Amino acid sequence: MLLFLFATSTASAHAFLDRAEPRVGNKVSALPREVTLWFTQKLEPAFCSMMVTNAAGARIDTGKARVSGNQMSISLRPGGSGTYRVNWHVLSVDTHSTDGNFTFQVGQ
Amino acid sequence: MSSRLLRARLSGFVIAVVSISHSLAHEIVGNRFFPATLTIDDPGVNDELAVPTTDSFNTADVPPIKQRDISAEFSKRITADFAISLGSAYTFLSPTDPTAPGASGFQNLETTFKYRLFKSPEHEFVFSAGLAIEWGGTGSANVGAEAFHSYVPTIYFGKGLGDLPDIFSWIRPVAITGQIGYSIPARNFTTAFSIDADSGALTSETEFHPRVLNWGGTIQYSMPYLKSVVIDLGLPDVINRLIPLVEANLQTPVANTFTSGTLTTGTINPGIIWVGNTFQFGVEALIPINRQSGSNIGVIAQLHYYLDDIDPRGIGKPIFGGPVQPASPFPR
Repeated sequence: MLLFLFATSTASAHAFLDRAEPRVGNKVSALPREVTLWFTQKLEPAFCSMMVTNAAGARIDTGKARVSGNQMSISLRPGGSGTYRVNWHVLSVDTHSTDGNFTFQVGQ
Repeated sequence: MSSRLLRARLSGFVIAVVSISHSLAHEIVGNRFFPATLTIDDPGVNDELAVPTTDSFNTADVPPIKQRDISAEFSKRITADFAISLGSAYTFLSPTDPTAPGASGFQNLETTFKYRLFKSPEHEFVFSAGLAIEWGGTGSANVGAEAFHSYVPTIYFGKGLGDLPDIFSWIRPVAITGQIGYSIPARNFTTAFSIDADSGALTSETEFHPRVLNWGGTIQYSMPYLKSVVIDLGLPDVINRLIPLVEANLQTPVANTFTSGTLTTGTINPGIIWVGNTFQFGVEALIPINRQSGSNIGVIAQLHYYLDDIDPRGIGKPIFGGPVQPASPFPR
Protein backbone atom coordinates (compact mmCIF):
# COMPACT_ATOMS: atom_id res chain seq x y z
CA MET A 1 0.00 0.00 0.00
CA LEU A 2 2.85 2.36 0.80
CA LEU A 3 4.43 1.78 -2.62
CA PHE A 4 1.08 2.52 -4.23
CA LEU A 5 0.75 5.71 -2.27
CA PHE A 6 4.22 6.84 -3.25
CA ALA A 7 3.58 5.97 -6.86
CA THR A 8 0.49 8.13 -6.91
CA SER A 9 1.97 10.92 -4.85
CA THR A 10 1.84 13.33 -7.80
CA ALA A 11 -1.43 12.08 -9.29
CA SER A 12 -3.85 14.40 -7.53
CA ALA A 13 -3.90 16.90 -4.73
CA HIS A 14 -5.03 20.38 -3.81
CA ALA A 15 -3.97 22.99 -6.35
CA PHE A 16 -1.62 25.33 -4.53
CA LEU A 17 0.04 28.30 -6.16
CA ASP A 18 3.39 27.13 -7.50
CA ARG A 19 4.60 30.39 -9.02
CA ALA A 20 3.31 33.60 -10.51
CA GLU A 21 4.33 36.22 -13.01
CA PRO A 22 4.80 38.90 -11.75
CA ARG A 23 6.32 36.99 -8.85
CA VAL A 24 4.63 37.12 -5.47
CA GLY A 25 5.74 40.13 -3.44
CA ASN A 26 8.18 41.35 -6.09
CA LYS A 27 8.52 44.67 -7.88
CA VAL A 28 8.38 45.15 -11.64
CA SER A 29 9.25 48.29 -13.56
CA ALA A 30 5.98 48.46 -15.49
CA LEU A 31 2.54 46.92 -15.19
CA PRO A 32 2.53 43.78 -17.35
CA ARG A 33 -0.17 43.05 -19.94
CA GLU A 34 -1.34 40.04 -17.97
CA VAL A 35 -0.91 38.13 -14.74
CA THR A 36 -0.16 34.42 -15.04
CA LEU A 37 -0.40 31.85 -12.25
CA TRP A 38 0.92 28.28 -12.26
CA PHE A 39 -0.53 25.73 -9.87
CA THR A 40 0.62 22.39 -8.54
CA GLN A 41 -2.29 20.55 -10.16
CA LYS A 42 -4.37 20.73 -13.31
CA LEU A 43 -7.43 22.91 -13.05
CA GLU A 44 -11.11 22.72 -13.91
CA PRO A 45 -11.56 25.81 -16.11
CA ALA A 46 -15.26 26.35 -15.38
CA PHE A 47 -14.59 26.77 -11.66
CA CYS A 48 -11.53 29.01 -11.71
CA SER A 49 -11.41 32.75 -11.43
CA MET A 50 -8.95 35.57 -10.83
CA MET A 51 -9.25 39.23 -9.99
CA VAL A 52 -6.58 41.95 -9.94
CA THR A 53 -7.13 45.23 -8.10
CA ASN A 54 -5.07 48.37 -7.66
CA ALA A 55 -4.27 50.14 -4.40
CA ALA A 56 -7.64 51.85 -4.47
CA GLY A 57 -9.42 48.53 -4.73
CA ALA A 58 -10.56 49.04 -8.33
CA ARG A 59 -10.39 46.08 -10.66
CA ILE A 60 -7.93 46.37 -13.51
CA ASP A 61 -8.38 42.92 -15.06
CA THR A 62 -10.29 42.52 -18.29
CA GLY A 63 -12.18 39.55 -19.66
CA LYS A 64 -12.41 36.10 -18.23
CA ALA A 65 -9.51 34.17 -16.74
CA ARG A 66 -7.96 31.79 -19.27
CA VAL A 67 -7.17 28.31 -17.98
CA SER A 68 -4.99 25.70 -19.65
CA GLY A 69 -3.75 22.69 -17.71
CA ASN A 70 -2.25 24.04 -14.49
CA GLN A 71 -1.96 27.63 -15.75
CA MET A 72 -4.36 30.53 -15.39
CA SER A 73 -3.93 34.00 -16.92
CA ILE A 74 -5.89 37.22 -17.07
CA SER A 75 -5.28 40.37 -19.09
CA LEU A 76 -4.82 43.75 -17.45
CA ARG A 77 -5.79 47.30 -18.34
CA PRO A 78 -2.92 49.80 -18.43
CA GLY A 79 -1.92 51.19 -15.07
CA GLY A 80 0.77 53.05 -13.20
CA SER A 81 2.99 52.58 -10.19
CA GLY A 82 1.69 51.18 -6.97
CA THR A 83 0.73 47.99 -5.22
CA TYR A 84 -1.59 45.54 -6.94
CA ARG A 85 -3.42 42.62 -5.37
CA VAL A 86 -4.25 39.34 -7.08
CA ASN A 87 -7.10 37.20 -5.74
CA TRP A 88 -7.53 33.75 -7.16
CA HIS A 89 -9.86 30.81 -6.74
CA VAL A 90 -9.42 27.43 -8.42
CA LEU A 91 -10.85 23.94 -8.47
CA SER A 92 -8.33 21.21 -9.18
CA VAL A 93 -9.21 18.15 -11.24
CA ASP A 94 -9.31 16.14 -8.01
CA THR A 95 -12.31 18.25 -6.88
CA HIS A 96 -10.56 20.31 -4.19
CA SER A 97 -11.01 24.05 -4.25
CA THR A 98 -8.38 26.45 -2.99
CA ASP A 99 -8.06 30.19 -3.00
CA GLY A 100 -5.50 32.76 -2.15
CA ASN A 101 -4.16 36.22 -2.74
CA PHE A 102 -0.88 38.09 -2.98
CA THR A 103 0.49 41.48 -3.96
CA PHE A 104 3.13 42.79 -6.31
CA GLN A 105 4.50 46.29 -6.83
CA VAL A 106 5.00 48.38 -9.93
CA GLY A 107 7.60 51.13 -9.87
CA GLN A 108 11.27 52.01 -10.13
CA MET B 1 -5.91 12.24 18.35
CA SER B 2 -5.44 13.77 21.78
CA SER B 3 -2.59 13.43 24.21
CA ARG B 4 -1.98 9.99 25.61
CA LEU B 5 -0.07 9.10 28.71
CA LEU B 6 2.34 6.29 28.05
CA ARG B 7 3.29 4.81 31.33
CA ALA B 8 6.54 2.97 31.16
CA ARG B 9 6.23 0.13 33.60
CA LEU B 10 8.97 -2.40 34.03
CA SER B 11 9.26 -4.89 36.82
CA GLY B 12 11.38 -3.48 39.61
CA PHE B 13 11.55 0.05 38.19
CA VAL B 14 9.77 3.23 39.15
CA ILE B 15 6.90 4.09 36.89
CA ALA B 16 7.70 7.04 34.70
CA VAL B 17 4.96 8.99 33.03
CA VAL B 18 5.69 10.20 29.55
CA SER B 19 3.15 11.66 27.23
CA ILE B 20 3.32 11.27 23.52
CA SER B 21 0.49 12.68 21.51
CA HIS B 22 -0.02 11.83 17.91
CA SER B 23 -2.03 14.17 15.81
CA LEU B 24 -3.90 13.45 12.67
CA ALA B 25 -5.28 16.22 10.55
CA HIS B 26 -4.28 18.84 8.13
CA GLU B 27 -6.43 21.80 7.39
CA ILE B 28 -6.67 24.46 4.73
CA VAL B 29 -8.21 27.73 5.84
CA GLY B 30 -8.11 30.46 3.22
CA ASN B 31 -4.45 31.04 2.32
CA ARG B 32 -3.29 28.97 5.26
CA PHE B 33 -2.25 25.33 5.23
CA PHE B 34 -2.01 23.88 8.75
CA PRO B 35 0.12 20.72 8.57
CA ALA B 36 -0.43 17.74 10.81
CA THR B 37 1.85 18.29 13.78
CA LEU B 38 3.68 15.49 15.49
CA THR B 39 3.11 15.68 19.21
CA ILE B 40 -0.07 17.66 19.64
CA ASP B 41 -3.26 17.69 17.71
CA ASP B 42 -3.82 20.38 15.12
CA PRO B 43 -7.23 21.95 14.69
CA GLY B 44 -8.43 20.29 11.50
CA VAL B 45 -10.47 17.29 10.48
CA ASN B 46 -9.57 15.29 7.42
CA ASP B 47 -9.05 11.88 5.85
CA GLU B 48 -5.52 10.90 6.76
CA LEU B 49 -3.14 8.13 7.62
CA ALA B 50 -0.04 8.47 9.78
CA VAL B 51 2.23 5.46 9.51
CA PRO B 52 4.66 5.12 10.95
CA THR B 53 5.19 7.51 13.81
CA THR B 54 8.28 6.50 15.72
CA ASP B 55 9.92 7.98 18.77
CA SER B 56 12.81 7.22 21.06
CA PHE B 57 13.73 8.72 24.42
CA ASN B 58 14.96 7.81 27.90
CA THR B 59 12.39 7.89 30.69
CA ALA B 60 12.77 9.63 34.03
CA ASP B 61 13.32 6.39 35.89
CA VAL B 62 16.54 5.95 37.85
CA PRO B 63 18.36 4.40 36.08
CA PRO B 64 16.51 5.49 32.95
CA ILE B 65 14.72 3.12 30.63
CA LYS B 66 15.02 3.53 26.90
CA GLN B 67 11.52 3.74 25.45
CA ARG B 68 10.78 3.38 21.74
CA ASP B 69 7.32 3.55 20.25
CA ILE B 70 5.98 2.87 16.80
CA SER B 71 2.40 3.79 16.05
CA ALA B 72 -0.20 4.15 13.34
CA GLU B 73 -3.34 6.19 13.16
CA PHE B 74 -6.17 6.52 10.67
CA SER B 75 -8.67 9.37 10.48
CA LYS B 76 -11.89 9.26 8.48
CA ARG B 77 -14.33 12.08 7.84
CA ILE B 78 -17.94 11.12 8.40
CA THR B 79 -19.17 14.52 7.25
CA ALA B 80 -17.12 17.48 6.01
CA ASP B 81 -16.74 18.75 9.59
CA PHE B 82 -16.72 15.55 11.68
CA ALA B 83 -14.08 12.84 11.78
CA ILE B 84 -13.28 9.74 13.78
CA SER B 85 -9.74 8.51 14.22
CA LEU B 86 -8.36 5.19 15.45
CA GLY B 87 -4.86 4.57 16.60
CA SER B 88 -2.51 2.41 18.55
CA ALA B 89 1.15 2.16 19.43
CA TYR B 90 3.65 -0.59 20.15
CA THR B 91 6.20 0.11 22.85
CA PHE B 92 9.65 -1.30 23.49
CA LEU B 93 11.19 -0.78 26.92
CA SER B 94 14.90 -1.47 27.36
CA PRO B 95 16.63 -0.95 30.71
CA THR B 96 20.09 0.59 30.56
CA ASP B 97 21.26 -2.35 32.66
CA PRO B 98 21.79 -4.97 29.93
CA THR B 99 21.23 -7.82 32.40
CA ALA B 100 17.74 -6.62 33.32
CA PRO B 101 14.80 -7.86 31.24
CA GLY B 102 12.96 -5.48 28.96
CA ALA B 103 9.36 -5.47 27.89
CA SER B 104 7.28 -4.78 24.83
CA GLY B 105 3.66 -4.65 23.94
CA PHE B 106 0.78 -2.61 22.59
CA GLN B 107 -0.54 0.48 24.27
CA ASN B 108 -4.29 0.84 24.67
CA LEU B 109 -6.34 1.53 21.56
CA GLU B 110 -7.57 5.06 21.24
CA THR B 111 -10.53 6.59 19.44
CA THR B 112 -11.02 10.31 18.87
CA PHE B 113 -14.22 12.02 17.79
CA LYS B 114 -13.57 15.51 16.46
CA TYR B 115 -15.86 18.22 15.13
CA ARG B 116 -14.79 21.43 13.41
CA LEU B 117 -16.99 24.10 14.89
CA PHE B 118 -15.82 27.25 13.16
CA LYS B 119 -13.61 28.33 10.30
CA SER B 120 -12.71 31.82 9.09
CA PRO B 121 -10.70 31.84 5.85
CA GLU B 122 -10.28 35.61 6.00
CA HIS B 123 -8.58 35.45 9.40
CA GLU B 124 -7.01 31.99 8.89
CA PHE B 125 -8.70 30.77 12.06
CA VAL B 126 -10.20 27.39 12.84
CA PHE B 127 -11.67 25.93 16.04
CA SER B 128 -12.65 22.35 16.81
CA ALA B 129 -13.78 20.26 19.75
CA GLY B 130 -13.39 16.58 20.38
CA LEU B 131 -13.43 13.63 22.71
CA ALA B 132 -10.65 11.06 22.88
CA ILE B 133 -11.25 7.72 24.55
CA GLU B 134 -8.43 5.44 25.59
CA TRP B 135 -9.90 1.95 25.82
CA GLY B 136 -8.53 0.41 28.98
CA GLY B 137 -7.41 -3.18 28.95
CA THR B 138 -6.79 -3.33 25.20
CA GLY B 139 -3.05 -2.93 25.64
CA SER B 140 -0.33 -4.68 27.57
CA ALA B 141 0.06 -3.90 31.26
CA ASN B 142 3.79 -4.63 31.15
CA VAL B 143 4.34 -1.45 29.10
CA GLY B 144 2.05 0.61 31.27
CA ALA B 145 -1.27 0.33 29.45
CA GLU B 146 -4.00 0.95 32.00
CA ALA B 147 -6.84 -1.44 32.70
CA PHE B 148 -9.44 1.33 32.84
CA HIS B 149 -10.74 3.75 30.23
CA SER B 150 -9.81 7.42 30.07
CA TYR B 151 -11.91 10.16 28.55
CA VAL B 152 -10.35 13.37 27.28
CA PRO B 153 -12.62 16.19 26.11
CA THR B 154 -10.45 18.61 24.16
CA ILE B 155 -10.62 21.88 22.28
CA TYR B 156 -8.30 22.80 19.43
CA PHE B 157 -7.59 26.02 17.61
CA GLY B 158 -5.39 27.33 14.86
CA LYS B 159 -4.62 30.90 13.82
CA GLY B 160 -2.50 32.07 10.94
CA LEU B 161 -1.07 35.56 11.07
CA GLY B 162 -1.82 36.31 7.44
CA ASP B 163 -4.21 39.10 8.34
CA LEU B 164 -1.41 41.24 9.78
CA PRO B 165 -0.79 44.56 8.00
CA ASP B 166 1.78 44.61 5.20
CA ILE B 167 4.33 46.28 7.49
CA PHE B 168 4.51 42.90 9.26
CA SER B 169 4.63 40.90 6.04
CA TRP B 170 7.59 38.75 7.13
CA ILE B 171 5.62 37.58 10.18
CA ARG B 172 2.55 36.64 8.17
CA PRO B 173 3.81 33.09 7.44
CA VAL B 174 3.65 32.39 11.17
CA ALA B 175 0.82 30.25 12.50
CA ILE B 176 -0.05 29.23 16.02
CA THR B 177 -2.03 26.17 17.02
CA GLY B 178 -3.06 24.89 20.42
CA GLN B 179 -5.03 22.30 22.28
CA ILE B 180 -6.38 21.91 25.80
CA GLY B 181 -7.76 18.60 27.02
CA TYR B 182 -8.94 17.31 30.38
CA SER B 183 -8.17 13.66 30.98
CA ILE B 184 -10.69 11.85 33.17
CA PRO B 185 -9.78 8.32 34.22
CA ALA B 186 -12.73 5.98 34.67
CA ARG B 187 -11.18 4.77 37.90
CA ASN B 188 -10.12 7.01 40.77
CA PHE B 189 -7.58 4.68 42.34
CA THR B 190 -6.09 1.21 42.16
CA THR B 191 -4.98 -0.79 45.18
CA ALA B 192 -2.39 -3.53 44.75
CA PHE B 193 -1.90 -6.22 47.41
CA SER B 194 1.27 -8.14 48.01
CA ILE B 195 2.98 -10.30 50.63
CA ASP B 196 6.00 -8.78 52.35
CA ALA B 197 8.93 -11.13 51.64
CA ASP B 198 10.46 -10.65 55.09
CA SER B 199 7.48 -10.62 57.43
CA GLY B 200 4.97 -12.53 55.35
CA ALA B 201 2.40 -9.85 56.11
CA LEU B 202 -0.18 -8.71 53.62
CA THR B 203 0.59 -5.19 52.39
CA SER B 204 -1.25 -2.85 50.10
CA GLU B 205 -0.31 0.10 47.96
CA THR B 206 -2.85 2.53 46.57
CA GLU B 207 -2.23 4.61 43.50
CA PHE B 208 -4.61 7.51 42.80
CA HIS B 209 -5.26 8.22 39.13
CA PRO B 210 -5.20 11.97 38.63
CA ARG B 211 -7.24 14.10 36.35
CA VAL B 212 -4.77 15.70 34.03
CA LEU B 213 -4.78 18.84 31.93
CA ASN B 214 -3.19 17.96 28.60
CA TRP B 215 -2.17 21.16 26.95
CA GLY B 216 0.20 22.40 24.35
CA GLY B 217 0.71 24.32 21.16
CA THR B 218 2.86 24.99 18.17
CA ILE B 219 4.39 27.98 16.53
CA GLN B 220 5.19 27.43 12.86
CA TYR B 221 6.79 29.40 10.04
CA SER B 222 5.43 28.31 6.68
CA MET B 223 7.84 28.60 3.75
CA PRO B 224 5.03 27.59 1.32
CA TYR B 225 3.01 30.51 2.67
CA LEU B 226 5.95 32.88 2.35
CA LYS B 227 6.41 31.92 -1.28
CA SER B 228 2.81 31.92 -2.45
CA VAL B 229 1.37 34.77 -0.38
CA VAL B 230 4.13 37.10 0.86
CA ILE B 231 7.18 37.03 -1.38
CA ASP B 232 8.72 34.59 -3.83
CA LEU B 233 12.45 34.67 -3.08
CA GLY B 234 13.31 32.22 -5.85
CA LEU B 235 14.48 29.59 -3.36
CA PRO B 236 14.81 25.92 -4.31
CA ASP B 237 11.58 23.95 -4.21
CA VAL B 238 12.80 21.77 -1.35
CA ILE B 239 13.17 24.89 0.83
CA ASN B 240 9.79 26.24 -0.23
CA ARG B 241 8.14 23.09 1.11
CA LEU B 242 9.56 23.33 4.63
CA ILE B 243 7.68 24.35 7.76
CA PRO B 244 10.04 24.77 10.73
CA LEU B 245 8.20 24.70 14.01
CA VAL B 246 8.37 24.29 17.76
CA GLU B 247 5.80 22.23 19.61
CA ALA B 248 5.09 22.09 23.33
CA ASN B 249 3.34 19.03 24.73
CA LEU B 250 2.58 19.32 28.46
CA GLN B 251 0.58 17.59 31.17
CA THR B 252 -0.45 18.97 34.53
CA PRO B 253 -2.21 16.80 37.14
CA VAL B 254 -4.96 18.98 38.60
CA ALA B 255 -7.21 16.71 40.67
CA ASN B 256 -6.98 13.46 42.62
CA THR B 257 -3.24 14.13 42.86
CA PHE B 258 -2.51 12.37 46.17
CA THR B 259 0.12 10.07 44.72
CA SER B 260 0.98 11.75 41.41
CA GLY B 261 1.73 15.21 42.69
CA THR B 262 1.00 18.31 40.65
CA LEU B 263 4.23 18.79 38.76
CA THR B 264 3.86 19.69 35.10
CA THR B 265 5.76 17.37 32.79
CA GLY B 266 6.26 17.34 29.07
CA THR B 267 8.56 18.21 26.25
CA ILE B 268 9.49 21.09 23.97
CA ASN B 269 9.92 19.81 20.44
CA PRO B 270 11.74 21.85 17.80
CA GLY B 271 11.70 20.34 14.36
CA ILE B 272 10.75 20.60 10.77
CA ILE B 273 8.03 19.32 8.44
CA TRP B 274 8.47 18.82 4.71
CA VAL B 275 5.19 19.09 2.81
CA GLY B 276 4.57 17.18 -0.39
CA ASN B 277 1.49 17.11 -2.57
CA THR B 278 0.05 13.95 -1.02
CA PHE B 279 2.12 13.36 2.08
CA GLN B 280 4.37 15.05 4.60
CA PHE B 281 7.40 14.00 6.60
CA GLY B 282 8.30 15.48 9.95
CA VAL B 283 11.05 15.07 12.52
CA GLU B 284 11.43 16.75 15.90
CA ALA B 285 13.63 16.60 18.96
CA LEU B 286 11.91 15.79 22.26
CA ILE B 287 13.44 18.03 24.95
CA PRO B 288 12.19 17.26 28.48
CA ILE B 289 11.13 20.37 30.41
CA ASN B 290 12.41 18.90 33.68
CA ARG B 291 14.06 15.81 35.09
CA GLN B 292 10.68 14.22 35.74
CA SER B 293 9.85 14.37 32.05
CA GLY B 294 12.80 12.37 30.83
CA SER B 295 16.54 12.02 31.13
CA ASN B 296 17.76 12.89 27.65
CA ILE B 297 16.77 14.52 24.40
CA GLY B 298 14.72 12.11 22.35
CA VAL B 299 13.46 12.17 18.79
CA ILE B 300 10.18 11.64 16.98
CA ALA B 301 9.54 11.21 13.25
CA GLN B 302 6.39 10.71 11.23
CA LEU B 303 5.29 9.90 7.69
CA HIS B 304 1.79 11.20 7.11
CA TYR B 305 -0.47 10.69 4.09
CA TYR B 306 -3.21 13.04 2.89
CA LEU B 307 -5.91 10.58 1.82
CA ASP B 308 -8.12 13.44 0.58
CA ASP B 309 -5.43 14.18 -1.99
CA ILE B 310 -4.45 10.60 -2.77
CA ASP B 311 -8.00 9.32 -3.36
CA PRO B 312 -10.42 12.30 -3.33
CA ARG B 313 -13.33 10.33 -4.76
CA GLY B 314 -12.87 7.24 -2.61
CA ILE B 315 -11.50 6.95 0.89
CA GLY B 316 -10.48 10.60 0.83
CA LYS B 317 -13.97 12.06 0.81
CA PRO B 318 -16.53 12.31 3.61
CA ILE B 319 -18.86 9.34 3.95
CA PHE B 320 -21.77 11.77 3.89
CA GLY B 321 -21.26 14.60 1.44
CA GLY B 322 -19.44 14.63 -1.88
CA PRO B 323 -15.88 15.72 -2.69
CA VAL B 324 -16.87 18.65 -4.90
CA GLN B 325 -16.82 21.97 -3.17
CA PRO B 326 -18.81 24.74 -4.83
CA ALA B 327 -16.76 27.49 -6.43
CA SER B 328 -17.40 31.04 -5.33
CA PRO B 329 -16.61 33.36 -8.24
CA PHE B 330 -15.60 36.85 -7.28
CA PRO B 331 -18.51 39.29 -7.62
CA ARG B 332 -18.28 41.88 -10.38
